[in-house]
Amino acid sequence: MDVDRTTLIGRALRPATYTVTEVDVNDFLGVVDEPAFVATGDEQAAGAATVSAPTGSRLAPPSFAPFVAVLGLLKTFDWGDDFLFDYRTGTAMFGEQSIEFHRPLRVGESVAISAAISDVYEKQGKRRFDVIEVSFQISGSEEGDRLMSGQQSYILFK
Amino acid sequence: MREALYQPFFQDLAVGMRLPTVELGPMDRFDYIPIALILRDTNPLHLDRVYAQERGLPDVVQQGPLNQAYLYRYFTSWLHDPWDLIATKMRFAANVFPDDVLQCGGEILELVEAPAGSGVVNCAVWQRNQAGETILTGEASARIPSRPMSTSVTHTSPAP
Repeated sequence: MDVDRTTLIGRALRPATYTVTEVDVNDFLGVVDEPAFVATGDEQAAGAATVSAPTGSRLAPPSFAPFVAVLGLLKTFDWGDDFLFDYRTGTAMFGEQSIEFHRPLRVGESVAISAAISDVYEKQGKRRFDVIEVSFQISGSEEGDRLMSGQQSYILFK
Repeated sequence: MREALYQPFFQDLAVGMRLPTVELGPMDRFDYIPIALILRDTNPLHLDRVYAQERGLPDVVQQGPLNQAYLYRYFTSWLHDPWDLIATKMRFAANVFPDDVLQCGGEILELVEAPAGSGVVNCAVWQRNQAGETILTGEASARIPSRPMSTSVTHTSPAP
């Protein structure tokens, strides 16, 4: 019998934090070469300037933002408890992601993620699946200022 | 239709202009290891070819956020400042596999001028594989500066 996930609409997910570490950003830049955002230690070798915030702190590239959203959101829910989904036997994938950027992301900063299930609906493609839409806000955990906000949908096949 | 130059000024842009198309790849399966570590995602679908093939896939699947990162880099490298990015909306349409060659492109959908001559551009953006299959599709918007006021031009005679 199908699980009715519409009962999940409005559920607040647990608050989470994530620190944008230098190691993560450097590893990321090792794969996604961003000439304007050189990995720490490579500045002289590359002969390029790492983009910095006015305060002098190092910025992460915008291309790292989807990683922060995905990572942060994965900490806010449990597949079984919050999505009524068994990840070991079921198939899930990302649907759509929208992000609004309020300020640049700084390397070394901790961010706080709050999220809630904003909608759940069923769709029929080659297979039937549920779409779970999660609305989220990511803020600087110290200043509390908004960094990113948006929506992420998850597709859970039936 | 004309193609928009890199790091354009608002006055250089028109609705319908294409963004320069960029090809990248081939995709490298060894990149999936650091990406899995960053994402704390040890799903074998991204790392174990036998596991992926047992599920009917031709090979391991490149992580979706990595596909997104390439499309973000494509769009933001077109801007004067990558953090002029305002918003994105992207839909995952298909998987990327090792050795795929990706193509990123876009088109200007809307221009909104600000009082100082700068403005906001909203673009359709897409990523396709070598077979022309859409991987990601969506929109991205960003601030675009105004062309600086030109200083007085001094004409000089050529040296004798």
